[in-house]
Amino acid sequence: MQPCVAFGSLCNSMSSNGYVIDVHDVHKTYKKRIKALQGVDLQVGSGEIFGLLGPNGAGKSTLVKILMTVVRPDKIGGTFLGASVGQKEPLSKVGYLPEHHHFPGYLTGLQVIEFSGAMCGLSKRERRANAGKLLDRVGMTKWGSSRLNSYSKGMLQRVGLAQALVNDPKVVLLDEPTDGVDPVGRREIRDLLLELRDEGHSIFLNSHLLSELEMVCDRVAIMVQGRVSMQGTIDELTKDSKRYEIQVLGPCPAWIESHPGASVESVEAEARISIATDDPEAIQPIIDRLRNEGRSITRVHAVRESLEDLFMRAVVDESGNIAAPGAQIESRRGSGGDAP
Amino acid sequence: MTQTLALFLDAYRLLNARKIFWITLVLSLLVVSSFALVGIHDDGISIAWWNLDLPEINTGSAGFTKAWFYKTMFTSLGINIWLTWVATILGLVTTASIFPEFVTAGSIDIILSKPIGRFRLFLTKYITGLLFVILQVSVFTGASFLVIGLRGGVWEPGLFIAIPLVVLFFSYLFSVCAVLGVITRSTIASLLLTILFWFMLFIVQSAEQSLMVFDMMVQQRVTAYEDAVERTRQRLETVEDPDDMERWGFLHETLEKREASLANAQGSSGNLKAWHNGLLGVMTVLPKTGETIQLIERWTIDLAELPEMSGETSRPMISEDDHFTPDEEKLGKDIQDAVRNRSPWWILGTSLLFEMVILCIGAWRFQRRDF
Repeated sequence: MQPCVAFGSLCNSMSSNGYVIDVHDVHKTYKKRIKALQGVDLQVGSGEIFGLLGPNGAGKSTLVKILMTVVRPDKIGGTFLGASVGQKEPLSKVGYLPEHHHFPGYLTGLQVIEFSGAMCGLSKRERRANAGKLLDRVGMTKWGSSRLNSYSKGMLQRVGLAQALVNDPKVVLLDEPTDGVDPVGRREIRDLLLELRDEGHSIFLNSHLLSELEMVCDRVAIMVQGRVSMQGTIDELTKDSKRYEIQVLGPCPAWIESHPGASVESVEAEARISIATDDPEAIQPIIDRLRNEGRSITRVHAVRESLEDLFMRAVVDESGNIAAPGAQIESRRGSGGDAP
Repeated sequence: MTQTLALFLDAYRLLNARKIFWITLVLSLLVVSSFALVGIHDDGISIAWWNLDLPEINTGSAGFTKAWFYKTMFTSLGINIWLTWVATILGLVTTASIFPEFVTAGSIDIILSKPIGRFRLFLTKYITGLLFVILQVSVFTGASFLVIGLRGGVWEPGLFIAIPLVVLFFSYLFSVCAVLGVITRSTIASLLLTILFWFMLFIVQSAEQSLMVFDMMVQQRVTAYEDAVERTRQRLETVEDPDDMERWGFLHETLEKREASLANAQGSSGNLKAWHNGLLGVMTVLPKTGETIQLIERWTIDLAELPEMSGETSRPMISEDDHFTPDEEKLGKDIQDAVRNRSPWWILGTSLLFEMVILCIGAWRFQRRDF
């Protein structure tokens, strides 16, 4: 597929600060008491893969649905592709795959993609050309003329992904795109997302698969009970947790404990020295001293928090309790609770 | 335009995938084929190879025309029974799921994420839902046109008025079904509630027609008693010494009885009129399914095509022993006139107004709802 847009037109659909999605103070309450979103602020830059994480009921899908005009917010500020959220016009430049999508079983894969293209206003020629290429891209060329009711979950997911890309979108919003896909397929989808990013598409991912998000996302946000608790690049978010670990044979040297930011742990016949720093220069004197003392260094490596660690940190409150899944419910008497 | 065409193509694919659509179409063609097997001749009618001599229905002594015969079959059997009952129920069963499936989570998300307004989407989807009946009635009417032309020798393009009228009739019900589908998201609930609504319309329309007939009968009774009272008075005026109660007491008694019966009939007529007007008011705000279909007969069969009636009309009578004899021929003609004289603008206009109001409610609900 060709790069999606010319640079100039991409700039036109961004907000003045360079974000394709830039929303502030998003509020949504269902049935007057289920607080799905409570003042969400979120920014997605152009040409990046952005991951939105959060436990079940945190409000991730509600936020995506608000962007796609499926759900009406109670309050929202900011822009989506340079226009106010809720306007239909920018959606012609957006691709979307919802989590539990349902395509009519009487359609073939090719027809689903062409229908999606037609609804985006593409001409017949464009639809035909794009649908063929996309089927090839998601590895479904052989099945393009078969009806969806003969597809497996993974095949439906691939076709769903293809229909989201038919209009050559500037922003692609994907809700659990690898749901039901086998490991080979997941890898292919991951590679496809990276290709899309390289072509200039911005990708907004909703997923529970933290390890997968970690592999592809440039930036992430973690939502808990309708609020964004963390947002940034994985490097930024894990900066404080970065450290270097040096493993040496034999007992731990006594002097190391006086080194600022150092901690020591004995593992069988080895000692694991942990230095809290993200600067490789800072550990060179320690390595030199260990070498001078004739100690055998078996391993030196940089360590940082995984996305899972980060996620767990985000969902634990000050008192150490893990946030219950679900949105906050305002009880009829006014006290808070959680939706199931 | 691309989006509208895509929605129509999708609706066609949906119908194409449903066996019930093709079964209904084949049955429609069978019904039309059965018309071709029936013929009328000078002595009666023929069904395939069998001839039935019928003195009441023939083109000879009874004076019917072939054109009338086939057009009557088309309206009475084809439209009034097949299309407005059997095919409509099959149509509702086929299309009742369109909106509930459309608003299913996972399906509506994708369509709403496209650059098309909700109002336009709702209305386009509604119109595509009428595709079932448009295709069915077009094939049926086209085939009937050929049968009437080939067998009856009359090429009657007026038959095609059945297409918009049957579509309109179906659209009254489908609008209710569509809105219920959006509100309840359940195929079974929207189908059953629509059929219930249709049954309610049938009851209201039947009650209105029954009250109209009763009112006409009571009117005849009033006329008959007015005549009888007048006759009795005239008789009293002509007799010698009418105050002689011994001789003419029975006449005074008859007069009193007839005046009381007249007052009673006038009272009943007043009550019936009030009830009839009330029901007519209710009907005005509801879609007129039966009368919309009757328009097909009104507009395709000219009364002049019917053989002349006997012409022996007599005023309704009260006999000497106070037995009421209605003028049945006049009653039949009055009912036919009353039905035929109702303004098509009133029938179609108020029905369409109802449909518009229902669709506006549905569009408003669809517009405001979170999915």
